[in-house]
Amino acid sequence: MLTHSVFNPVSPQALAISNLFIFIMIVSLVIVLIIVGVLAYTCTHFRYHPGQADPPQTFGLTKLEITWTVIPFVLLVIVFAATMKTVSISAPPDDNALAGRTPDMTIVAHQWWWEVRYASGVVTANEIHIPIGKRMLVALQSADVIHSLWVPQINGKTDSVPGQTNMVYMEADRAGSYESACVEYCGDGHSRMRALVIAQPLAQYQAWERQQLATPPAPTGLAAEGAKLYQQFGCQSCHAASIGPDLTHFGSRGTLAAATLTNTPAHLDEWLHDPQAVKPGANMPNFHLSTKETRMLAAYLESLK
Amino acid sequence: MSVIPTKRPEKAPLVPDLAEPLPWLYKDDGLISWIGSTDHKQIGIMYMLTTLVFFLIGGLEALVMRLQLGAPDNHVVSPQAYDQLFTMHGTTMIFLVIMPMLIGFALYFVPLMIGANDIAYPRFNALGYWVFLFGGLLLYASFIGGGAPDAGWFAYAPLSSDFKFTSNLGMDYWGVGLLTTGVGTLGAAVNVLVTILTMRAPGMTMRRVPLFVWMTFINSILLLVAIPALNATIAMVLFDRLLHAHFFDAAAGGQPLLYQHAFWSFGHPEVYIMIFPAWGMISEIIPVFTRRPIFGYAAIAGASVAIVFLSAVVWGHHMFTAGMGHPLDVVFTISSMLIAIPTGIKVFNWTATTWGGTIQFTTPMLFVLAFLVQFTIGGVTGVMFAAFPVDWQMEDSYFVVAHFHYVLFGGTAFGLWAGTYYWFPKITGKMLSETIGKWHFWLAVVGFNLTFMVQHILGFLGMARRIETYPDLPYWHLLNLVSTVGSFVLAIAVLVFVWNIWVSLRHGEPAGNNPWHAWTLEWATTSPPGVHNFEQVPPIRGRRPLWDLSHPDNQDWQHGEGGKGI
Amino acid sequence: MSNKSMLGMTIFVASDVVFFTVLILSFVFYRDSLANKGLPNDFNSLDVGVTAIYSVCLYASSLTNWLASRSHRRGDLKMWRSWLVLTILLGAAFIYGEATEYHHLVSVDKLVPNTNLFGTSFYILTGFHGFHVTMGLILLAILLVLTFTATDTFKGGARAGAVEAISIYWHFVDAVWVVIFPTVYLWSLVGPSWAASGH
Repeated sequence: MLTHSVFNPVSPQALAISNLFIFIMIVSLVIVLIIVGVLAYTCTHFRYHPGQADPPQTFGLTKLEITWTVIPFVLLVIVFAATMKTVSISAPPDDNALAGRTPDMTIVAHQWWWEVRYASGVVTANEIHIPIGKRMLVALQSADVIHSLWVPQINGKTDSVPGQTNMVYMEADRAGSYESACVEYCGDGHSRMRALVIAQPLAQYQAWERQQLATPPAPTGLAAEGAKLYQQFGCQSCHAASIGPDLTHFGSRGTLAAATLTNTPAHLDEWLHDPQAVKPGANMPNFHLSTKETRMLAAYLESLK
Repeated sequence: MSVIPTKRPEKAPLVPDLAEPLPWLYKDDGLISWIGSTDHKQIGIMYMLTTLVFFLIGGLEALVMRLQLGAPDNHVVSPQAYDQLFTMHGTTMIFLVIMPMLIGFALYFVPLMIGANDIAYPRFNALGYWVFLFGGLLLYASFIGGGAPDAGWFAYAPLSSDFKFTSNLGMDYWGVGLLTTGVGTLGAAVNVLVTILTMRAPGMTMRRVPLFVWMTFINSILLLVAIPALNATIAMVLFDRLLHAHFFDAAAGGQPLLYQHAFWSFGHPEVYIMIFPAWGMISEIIPVFTRRPIFGYAAIAGASVAIVFLSAVVWGHHMFTAGMGHPLDVVFTISSMLIAIPTGIKVFNWTATTWGGTIQFTTPMLFVLAFLVQFTIGGVTGVMFAAFPVDWQMEDSYFVVAHFHYVLFGGTAFGLWAGTYYWFPKITGKMLSETIGKWHFWLAVVGFNLTFMVQHILGFLGMARRIETYPDLPYWHLLNLVSTVGSFVLAIAVLVFVWNIWVSLRHGEPAGNNPWHAWTLEWATTSPPGVHNFEQVPPIRGRRPLWDLSHPDNQDWQHGEGGKGI
Repeated sequence: MSNKSMLGMTIFVASDVVFFTVLILSFVFYRDSLANKGLPNDFNSLDVGVTAIYSVCLYASSLTNWLASRSHRRGDLKMWRSWLVLTILLGAAFIYGEATEYHHLVSVDKLVPNTNLFGTSFYILTGFHGFHVTMGLILLAILLVLTFTATDTFKGGARAGAVEAISIYWHFVDAVWVVIFPTVYLWSLVGPSWAASGH
């Protein structure tokens, strides 16, 4: 059950947090069991029987009360120490760590999609590639309201707050495709603002990077017709201006609509036909395209590898 | 006010005859007298009944939400409707149910427990109730007045403060509605505080007041600190919304984090406000049904005072993921872990009270036992959040939803149910049915835990809160379905409870003055009390005046309990 | 303070301090913001001298208020009324001054709540204070009318607690201004941190 949970970490940060979490849960479980155990005992051994006289009227036991104040305090000191150790491994970078370092990527959160810009020049959306074993420094920003990208297997979350830049590390020690979502309520599209983080071996990552930086192949056939429509409808006025996701290499992505649908011609057709039916409240207007037009556009967009 | 005999007179009635009978809801000439009433007991009852209605409404909102979440990609409600539902569910439960219900019990019982005949400001008390009711109605008018609030009950800016991010006028209703109910809440806090400080019967020193009175006293102080902070925060949000000001407008230099600091300065004391009176009820009920004094009165009272101070410096633990910076994160972790200690002390003291007692498994006691376990579970998950790296993972997930429902429902609501079964006889003169009560209890325990225990796991798996749909990831559907089923079992429990009230009001066993053989002053008068509460209170030399009266050779003060003072 | 009215008012006033604290902190937080540069701000828009005069009126009204209380406690009805009238006049002078200041800021400096962060935080703080002063004036006016129409009510020191409670409220309103005036006005003489000199 826990394969895709915080307890199956793929990064040193998430591992440290997972260990801390399990430690605190064990301590907590012991406390709960003690309370349950004592109550189970008292409820069986100190039951009232009709006619029974009043029990001894005692008011407290100072020594006992001090004990159970000191012991929790000691336990908490231990938990605090464990916490600080975990912080040293998992914390977002502080000012010292940041000195002179530019972020490897900047993620700008929008209602309701993720803009991803790499220092290498790659621009994409909703699908974040990282090379295995490298600690990527990620800058988090927001274009409108507060969002928060959470990849449970990779790290704790840090919010994307408008007007400030928060920094986090993103690192994975094995290949995989990790589910991610916005977890700070950001309006009607909040449930459908997901993302995928894809960790790849360095060679594959670099190949992806090269592909993303290259110009996509020129469209032919139906795709060429789609390209003309793309110009005609002025799609670039949003999709090249960060109002909507960058589509330059749309065909290379595994998902669309902020990782809520797989990237297939059928799903793309659905989206182009009526964005609000797929994602109520989406900012993309409904262009009332005919089936022929959506097919052409879909062909064009899928050709953008 | 009261006459304290130095020696119990032979034939003086301890419990006075009713000078004027308290009007009943279902008596013909009753309704007008209720509307114009300034009697603290009637107003307390009005608070209790009004908040019960809001509880049912808030519960319905939750059921619709659970139906929507029962399967992935469900279409029971639209996202816009769902956003309004979860905002109103939270706002209703917090501001229109828990806070005012606890206030209702306080207004009813604090004067009785301290031997007073009324509350400090009776007319202001009445004003407070009606303003509260008006505020609640204003909030619900939003549904037909342009759309209900939809930015979440804690309404983070700039989502809540900028028109272009919310889809309707609902947040204006939220702001004005809460400012309005705040008048009633603040008024009740002042009222209760002044009552406790100035109207205690002779001999009722602060070291002898029942723990429910201590908790309510502390609660009032917290309210007086928290509500103005909320008012200022709402004022800033309304400024941004209505006057297009820039408090939280990042483009003009405003800072969304300022909202969070201001809001949680209210919000954290608020969660203690929502549990303190329930802690008071627990502290009253356990001794009565274990037939012995509370274990460690001073520690429980002292720990509560410690919590007041600590609760003022933990607010940042709601902002660990916002990027406050390391030093602040560490400070708030320390304070948040520290606050676990006084809370834990209370749980240990309550549990220890059962040791060596003789436990009677009445319905109130059953709810108390469930409270002890459930509240502890909610409390330990709270400590997990205090460790901020764990918070980084679990914040905004269903693990949080599980945590706060364990403390607020498994804790406060179960405590309120215990208090209702305990005090219903005093308020109405009839006993609630024990048989129906046990059905209520077991359905509630099963339904509650089924609903919320699995939500911890959904949090581990990465499910965000405040989403109306989710992808068909492994186990998400199954766990959500279990939770939904549990919520309907819980709903049945609530209906059984309401039915118990209805049936018992009509055919309940007559209660008499002290059906539980309890020892605090509210049981030293009739059930229900006359308009003037007491004509005579028993002598007060300790914390259990009625115990002392009936055990002249073994009075508490002879063991040094309850301090000095007449 | 075992009198219920005075205790209740003191408690209410203490909680109102929290309200103003949040707004004052917000003002302080935004005061040096670069977002105010080039727009009307505290340094270039506020007339500290004129406001000082109106502030003195408000502070003086606290003195006359105290004198009114003293006359009331001594049972001197005539002096009580006179001092009350003076208190109300001085308080009204403050409100008049604030109203003219707002008028000037809006029409000449073009400063409104949505101009910039200064406008936002200035108006909410001084606005709510002005609202509290106005409520206080209404309370004092009601009290003054009652001293004429219901002299029996106050016979023998009855209702002394309620009278004192109103007095406590008025002193509170003054005390808040003791904090606001230096924070907003006197501080403006120094100028924002991003201004080496001038605006």
